[in-house]
Formats: sequence, C-alpha cells, structure tokens
Amino acid sequence: MVKLEDVSSLLQAPAPEQKVPVRTDSTYKPLHSFALDKQRSYKQQYGDMYFLRLAKIKPAVEEVASKAWDGTEIGGELAKRVDRVLDVRQGELCWVAGTVYMDMRLKPNILEDVSKDRWLSAPISSQKYYSDDGSDQIMLEDDSGRVRLVGELLNSIPLVTGCIIAVMGTENTNGEFEVIDLKVPDLAPQPERWALSKAPSAKSKSEDTDMTDSPSPNGGKKVAIVSGLSFSGTDASAYNPLPSQLFDEFVAELLPSIPVTLLPGARDPANASYPQQPIHTAMFPLSRAYASDPGAASTSQPGWFDTVTNPWEAEIEGWRILGTGGQNVDDVFKYVESDDRLGMMEAMCRWRCCAPTAPDTLWSYPFQEDDPFVLKSCPHVYFVGCQPEFATKVIHGPDGQSVRLIAVPSFSKTKEFVLVDTETLEVTKIKITSR
Amino acid sequence: MDDAKKYLSDRLLSEEVPVTYRLLSRVLNIRVNVAKQKLYEFHQSQNASKADSIHATYLIYGSKTEHKQPETGDTDMDNSVPEPEPLSDYAPTKTVTIVAEENLKDALAEYEEVTSFHIYSLAPFPQRDLALLSDVSKSLSDYRKIEDAAKTLDTYGIIANPQARRKDRKGRPPVPAPVPSASAPKNVKQEAPPALSKPSQTEKVKQEVKEVSSAEATPSSSAGKKPPATLKRGASGGIMQSFAKAAAKPPKPKPEPKPKEEDTSMALSDDGEADDEDLPTSKSIDLEALKRTRKQREEELMRMMEDADDDIKEAKKEDEQSDEEMEEASEAEPEPEPEPEQQPKEEKEPTEVISNSGDGRRRGKRRVMKKKRILDDQGYMVTIQEAAWESFSEDEAPPPTATKPKPASTPAASSTQKSKKAAAPKSGSQGSIMSFFGKK
Repeated sequence: MVKLEDVSSLLQAPAPEQKVPVRTDSTYKPLHSFALDKQRSYKQQYGDMYFLRLAKIKPAVEEVASKAWDGTEIGGELAKRVDRVLDVRQGELCWVAGTVYMDMRLKPNILEDVSKDRWLSAPISSQKYYSDDGSDQIMLEDDSGRVRLVGELLNSIPLVTGCIIAVMGTENTNGEFEVIDLKVPDLAPQPERWALSKAPSAKSKSEDTDMTDSPSPNGGKKVAIVSGLSFSGTDASAYNPLPSQLFDEFVAELLPSIPVTLLPGARDPANASYPQQPIHTAMFPLSRAYASDPGAASTSQPGWFDTVTNPWEAEIEGWRILGTGGQNVDDVFKYVESDDRLGMMEAMCRWRCCAPTAPDTLWSYPFQEDDPFVLKSCPHVYFVGCQPEFATKVIHGPDGQSVRLIAVPSFSKTKEFVLVDTETLEVTKIKITSR
Repeated sequence: MDDAKKYLSDRLLSEEVPVTYRLLSRVLNIRVNVAKQKLYEFHQSQNASKADSIHATYLIYGSKTEHKQPETGDTDMDNSVPEPEPLSDYAPTKTVTIVAEENLKDALAEYEEVTSFHIYSLAPFPQRDLALLSDVSKSLSDYRKIEDAAKTLDTYGIIANPQARRKDRKGRPPVPAPVPSASAPKNVKQEAPPALSKPSQTEKVKQEVKEVSSAEATPSSSAGKKPPATLKRGASGGIMQSFAKAAAKPPKPKPEPKPKEEDTSMALSDDGEADDEDLPTSKSIDLEALKRTRKQREEELMRMMEDADDDIKEAKKEDEQSDEEMEEASEAEPEPEPEPEQQPKEEKEPTEVISNSGDGRRRGKRRVMKKKRILDDQGYMVTIQEAAWESFSEDEAPPPTATKPKPASTPAASSTQKSKKAAAPKSGSQGSIMSFFGKK
C-alpha cells in the first residue's frame, strides 16, 4: 500500500539536465530456419512432409523407446522391436514407432471435401475438433500402413495428428493395437549459450532497458515480447489503414533506442499458411528506414527493424529463441480436451515438432526436402503469441535441457506484455491499466 | 520556463485541450522528464491561484500488492486433466496505471511499491474519458523530425542506442521524395514564430512537417491562408494529401500547372516504396486511388476555369520562369514558400516529348505503363507492366498522369512541360484522361 505522500517527491524531477543514458549492446542473430524461396512452387504433394518428419524424428524416439523397453518382459514374453507398422503381428508383444493420425468427426477432412466435390474448404465452425463422446480414433501410421491405437493410457496422454511416438503393446483380435506404454522423442539436444553469436567480451553493466525511468530492482537487460497488437487493420470487414500507420509511427519512435523484430500473425498481411513469411516493409514507411536492405544477401547484418517469419528462430544474447504467432498452439488446442496452453507448448518441445498439425489442419507450405517444423535443437526460450492469457514455466529434459515456455497474451485484449531477463530468463508481466 | 507556462495556459485555458508530457516535450523541444516537471509546476501554480482549474492524470508504475501463488514445480505433460496445481509458474507483474487525480489515492493504495510516478497529462476539465488522451498522442507524429534522429534523441531525452543502424541505400536508385520534403519544411518550422502562442500557425507548420506517409491530410489545413504556397510545396504527400490540396484550391488559374508537379512527386514516392522488391500489385492499387483523386481534381479544375480568365496573364508570366530560377519565381509570388519548390525539378522525368504545341493544343508522345499479357516459357499466363510510348493530342495543360512513376529526373523535361502548360492554361482536361483509363 502506497500513500501519496510517500511518492509525491517523484513528481519533481530533481536535476534538470541529466545525461541521457545509452543502451548497452545487444546481440541478435536470426536463423532464417523458416524462410521460403521466393520462387517456390506449390505443385507438390503434402505426403512428403510426413515422410520427412518420420525419417527425422523416428531415430530419436526409437532411441528413447529401446532404452526404456529393451528387455521388457510382460507375462513371460519379451517385447521386441518392429520396424514397420505393418509388421505388427497379432498377439505378439512388440513396440513400433510411427506418426499419429487423429480421426475426428469434427476435424475438417480434405479427402471428404474432394470426394464430395467441394472446392472451397468449409468454414471451420467448431472451436474444437475434439469430441468427448469417444468417437475420436487415434491411428499410428508410417509409409507401410496404419493401425488403430486403443487403451486406457491414451486417455491421459494428449496426441495430435503429425506427432511421432513409439508405442508398446499387442495387436488384439480386432486388429487394434492395445497400448501398454508410450514414448515421445523428448527434448532435442540443446545448444550451449552463445553457440552461434559471440559473447560480448566485456561483461555488460546492468543497464536498464526497461520502460521505466528508474532502474528496476533486478535490472538486467530485458527483451519485451508484445503480441496481438492488431496493427493490420484487417479485423473489421473493411480494411482500415490507420492501425498500421499508428503502429508504424510508434515503432519508428522506438527504433532509435531499441531493435524491433516483427513476426506476422494470423490476420496480418503475410501468407496465411505456415511458415508465414515476413511482412513487407512497405507496410511501414517510417520504420523501414531501419529495416535491412532487401537487395542485400541474407547473410549480412539483420535489419535493426527485422520483419521475420512465423515461426521464427534466433539467438538473442546467446540464447536460442523459438517464437510463433500462436497458430500452431491454437490448432493443437482444438485436438485436445485441455485448456493448458503451456502443456501444449511443452508437448511440442517433447514431440520435437513445433507445428505437428501442419499440414493436416494447420495450413502449411508443402515442403519437399526438409520439414523445418522439426526441432533439430531445443530452444532456451519458446514463446507463443496471441494466447488468451499469460502463462510461463520452465520444463526440463533428460539431458539437462531446460526451456522457458511463455504464452504471451494478446495485447489488444489483455493490455499485457512480457519482459524476459536476458541473463536469468526470468519473466515479468507488464500490465497497462487506467482508472 | 516561460515558454512552457505560455504554451500551457494557451492550450489548456484558452483552447481547453489536454496536454501530455510527451506533447509538451515535442512542442518545446525539451526532455520528457523536464516536461513532466513543467506540467507539475503548472498544475501546482494554477490550482494555487484558482482551485480546481486544472486537472491532472498521473502515471504510476510499480508492483501491486498481490496474493502470491505458491511457486510450483514442473507440471508433467501428462496433466491434461485439470488439477488444483496451477499450470503456470509464478511471475511477477508490474502495472502501469494511468489515473485521473480524483482516483489517485485509491490507485496508489493498490500498489505495494511504486518505482515511477509522474504527471501524465493536464486538462482543463476532469479527465473522465482517458481515450481522449490517445488522440493527443496521435498528434505527436506531427512533430516528427526525420532528418536528424540522433539529435532528437538528446533533445527529448530518449535513451540512444549506438548500435541502431538505418538502411544503407547506397547502390540503389535514390528515392528523392522523402528526404528533401522532410528537410525543407523543417526550415520552415524553425523560421516560423514560436509556435506556442499561435495555435493556427502551429497547425500549418505541422502540416508541412508531415511526411510522405501521412496519407490523411485534412482538407482544412491545406485550405489555410496561403493557398498558392501550399500548392507549390510539392512535398510528396500521400494520395489523400494531394487530393486535399486540390480540393482546397482557390479560384485562380495560377496554381493550375502545379498539380502536375505534385502528382509526379507523389507518383515517384510511391514508386520509391515499391521498387524495393517486386510488388506488381501495388501499382495497380495506386492507380485506383490516383484515378479517383484525379477525377476530383479535374472537377475542381473545371470549376476553377470558369472564373479564371482574368488571371491568365499572371499565370503565363509566372510559368515562363525557368526551373533554375524557381526560387526567384516563387519569391515573386505574393506568398512564397521557396524551399520545397526545388523538389519537383529534381524529380521530373522525361515522361513526355512534345512535338508540337501552340494554339492551345499539345501533341506528342508520352510514356505510359502498359499492361501486357504474355505466356512465359513454362506456359503460364503472366501479366507484366512495361513502359511504352503513346502518342497523344490534347488541348489542355497536361493532365497529371500518374501512370509514369519512374525515378529518373531531367530538368529539361520539366521545363518543357511547364512552358506547355503555360501555353494552354484554359479549358478542361478530361478528354485525354478518360481515354487513358477508360473510366466509368
């Protein structure tokens, strides 16, 4: 409880001409993991994505599984590894790895659309694909075939289309696979801090990059994550140019002082499918003065005002950061009963895939050579924007990895944003109110 | 000090509009922290002489008293079933509150610790609707000074970042429009009498400071007391801005050739935006807008023509001035606005070649962007835009054809154009434009 008398001294600024402080250096290295070729083709099939993903993640999940299950005996029978889903023999205890496919009544189904000659995808009416009447089916598939998974265990473990898992159990007389145990690939190897960028030689003084005039008590450098600004003016039915103009003016005020990175969101003027490509800087006539030269090679210095992809990966102050505009979590959310956004983010880290439901229900570019959504390395910070409320936690992996998860609330709804300390990765929520 | 007092009493007591600390800082070119202090002093002194005459809103920043949740360990990913265990770790919350002075004590009482506290704004009335303050913030952009960001940092007390880097435009076609237009009005602003005492002046100057982006100039501002000057400015305003100018034209033929200049520079700045990368669509969008703008302007022009005869001589005389003497030319005007005059010259392009002109008719070729549809080597139908020469004949000052956004510049061309315009100051220009775009 603060009384007016306690703080009224703050109203009179004491020394009139103080020297304006200077920001300390920050290091920033975007990774361009999700950049698409400008001359990309959309002719190819999506099937390759599943193949690529399985090929990349299967070894990891099989390693986890064989560590856990090798030599496991149940009822005198030794669980043995099976290479392909189709090789599972009825009545034999075995384990197999593959891709999950969720068959859900409420989920949009492209095959159905095509067979019924519907050429426009139907508007997605339901908030959730999940239905609690037990009609949802979980399949495990690979390039050989698919088998339906059943068992009590599945009720407690949320799964979505596209995640790679290993299951142990037996095929019953109905041809269904009774799951006894289930493994996920778990967190990918985590790079050391400063793996890609050079740590500043002199240890930086604690300079306050906070928004306050007075140093905050735990005053290290901070990264602010603001999401859901609705600056595109596309929320109403008619386009309104004012929000983006105001946003541009605001960002242009910030840029002389702090670098700004801009990820596109679901309603922004970028491509709608994942990965979204950077918003063109022509949107921001003032701020673009600080953007990188479009003619320059991507290997050169990143823009001070950096419009980037969604998802986006970078190294900030040496930490590996993975961020998305939130569509990936919003889509996973529809598959599961839970409202636990952090849990979904954690699951994605442990599945080693930051957009598992692409290309099934999350629109995606049809990748051919690589599935960039597979997490080759585990980030230190994973944030997701446009979430209904702020939440954060730290998760840990088997090899000492730890990931700071942050669900960033939508600013336009909550008037909240998030500060991350660049040394401790501690998170502070900032709320703006009026009364 | 006196400046602040003067400005604040003008703005608050006479005009009765709110002032935020940022606005005060921008207007007086002082540090934001000093501005906060000035607001405080003014608030104290005014209310001492007359109680409740000025009302303040405050900004409070700090931690509110909160019921801390116990810190929890990791929740396992298997926790899909809601459990009493909170899903999120505890994270401290800092709160920024903007509060009217009536509620200040209550608001402060909710805080456990206050690390920042200052007057946010003053108003001559109790600030019930804080949304009004955001309108004040919007007007801040009028004080933007592009050309020396580094200096403004120090002026306003913005924490500078030595690492900040702007785009290196070397090796690319220069985009002439924004820079000169920003610097020229700057001079004007400095020359202008201290903006504090004369709000109307401020208004006008602000208008000029507005940059390329300000696509929504208000007609009222350009309809100020110096219409010819306004028109001559040729600053590369957005589409709407030039429209506003056109609409505000006085019944005089003299400014008649000017729309051409404005238009060209406008088109150029548009092009400057687009030529960064391939943006094939943007041009057609611009055309749409320009088409509309032009239509408005033509109507204005026609109306103007009707009572314009008397002034033809004057117009001719003026237009005979060559480009090199532009500054003189503008000085010769009743109300000169010299600096921006140079821009059009720089930005002119050889978009027209006049082969025959006189007796009010112009014939020649002009450069236009034409749409062309071809099959590419992969068999796809592609629509491209390419420059082409089109012959024309018209009996009017050249209609501002915005279809030629090319950032080349030859003074010669512009002077040619000008003399042509002078030669034919009368009658409407619709015909040629119509054929151009196939309107309606």
